[in-house]
Amino acid sequence: MMRSVFAKTLYDKRSFMLGWGIGLAALGALMVSFYPAMHQDGTIDALVANMPEAFKGLIGNLEDLRSFDTYLASQLFDIRLTLIVGIMAIVLGLSLSVADEEKGELRTLLSLPLSRSRVVRQKWLGMVTVLLVTLLGLAAGIYGVMPFIDGASIEPQQMLRLFAMTALMMVACGTIPFAVGIATGKRALATGTAVLAIIGSFILSTFGQAVDWLTDYERLSLLHYFPAVEIVKGSIDLVDVAVLGGLTVLLLAVAFVRFRQRDVA
Amino acid sequence: MSTSIPVIELSAVTKRFGRFNAVSDVTLGVSRGEVVGFVGANGAGKTTTISMLLGFLNASSGDVRLFGQMVRPANAHVSHRRIGYAAGDMELPGQLTGAQYLRLLRAAGSVEQERYDELIKRFSPQLGKKIQTLSRGNKQKIALVAAFLTDPEVIILDEPTSGLDPVMQETFLEMIRDCKRRGKTVFMSSHYLQEVMQVCDRVVLMSQGRIVEDVQTSQLLAMGGKQVSVTTGYRPTKPPKGAQEVFSEFADDVLHLSFVFKGDPGELQRWVAAIKQLRDIEISEYNLEEAFKSLYQPEATS
Repeated sequence: MMRSVFAKTLYDKRSFMLGWGIGLAALGALMVSFYPAMHQDGTIDALVANMPEAFKGLIGNLEDLRSFDTYLASQLFDIRLTLIVGIMAIVLGLSLSVADEEKGELRTLLSLPLSRSRVVRQKWLGMVTVLLVTLLGLAAGIYGVMPFIDGASIEPQQMLRLFAMTALMMVACGTIPFAVGIATGKRALATGTAVLAIIGSFILSTFGQAVDWLTDYERLSLLHYFPAVEIVKGSIDLVDVAVLGGLTVLLLAVAFVRFRQRDVA
Repeated sequence: MSTSIPVIELSAVTKRFGRFNAVSDVTLGVSRGEVVGFVGANGAGKTTTISMLLGFLNASSGDVRLFGQMVRPANAHVSHRRIGYAAGDMELPGQLTGAQYLRLLRAAGSVEQERYDELIKRFSPQLGKKIQTLSRGNKQKIALVAAFLTDPEVIILDEPTSGLDPVMQETFLEMIRDCKRRGKTVFMSSHYLQEVMQVCDRVVLMSQGRIVEDVQTSQLLAMGGKQVSVTTGYRPTKPPKGAQEVFSEFADDVLHLSFVFKGDPGELQRWVAAIKQLRDIEISEYNLEEAFKSLYQPEATS
């Protein structure tokens, strides 16, 4: 079984996968089970009429609570999941890059006849796989509870679009700390960059609708390219795919080039 | 049996960390089949030098070559196919068991089952437990098995016996002797001169980032001498010509004189015979460890 850095990464992170997978499954199940309480039409109409625009960024547009697909997209994918998954990606990205180097395990790996490119490639693929497995946990949680909830139904294509874009965003989020960590070996820089990009994006997107002067900067947020409600309503915008995918590829390219040259402590 | 083909070459290698020179202008060659000990105090630059050989670190200037090829981080893995490496403080993947780690290594390079079995028999590592639960010595056994696993042409070891019990240290030294008999090249750093002297053809001494001695072990053995301590009431007594590490103190009308003498024993005998008012004399073998220490810490011992 233990025949590659990729397999080793999955083995090392098996508890991580299990723990976060269960956590995301629970989150998905809970959010689905809350749906009947959230979409009572009369209540929503009154809330929508009285809600200031500024609150929409913080709690989502209440119009979206009217149907299950937009409820799920806004309340789970748009507001909660992005932050939770962002934190998970930071933890995972850091542990597979700077943490391994700080422990000295990266040096041990590099003493084997494995090229630096191969080590980075397999570690990154391991990270992506771990993230996708936890995402399966979320899917299991949603689909596990959905049949038992009145009115909770969503088209498979809608769900597929949501999950595909969530996966792309997760990979981009994980790649930020991973790539900076691999490129520099510096924990503070990798953590700072990831927190700034991911948590900063969350703050920018949630407050962007409420604070006038932030509106112009909202495009700098990663979440701007993950409009969950629009994704579930229509189709995937290729610009969003290009930005998230392009960022991932660019960061990885920098990590590959720098790691092939730099000292490993 | 060594030949003149250099497998390890460092030419005017310097490694700087900021303003600090960890390694300064080091030039060193190790020929195929040589077993070379690399000795020095903590912070002498041994590990930094080995890290450059393995491509973990870039040299700030100078050339590092293995098997005639320049070593760079990007291409170091090519030479690693022909190298075995272990370090005393090597951090093995703690989540894996010893068996899983060795399986990962076997997948990375070609390993004969017979070789694997032989090493397991020699070092008796605990393979079934997670590495993070093992004692330092048991982790070190796995690191050593890993270093010898592919039967590499060159074995590079960085303080390999730290953490090993005396029995396992002897097993390790026997392994090195075996490598030597089979014409393998070994480059090992150590704090322990005795260990190096037992198995190495040559000893390279490093101090403050520089190579200060590069001698054949046989020469080093000849560096031993006699430690002489004399107590006399005759204050003008001088040590014999060629005495080293001279220490003298006059107190309570008595002169205490001590020195190391590496010259002709007959000359020492004549000097002793000529001492006036001799009160006490002690002559003992001068410890090789002390002799070696004097090479790299002259200011501390003279």
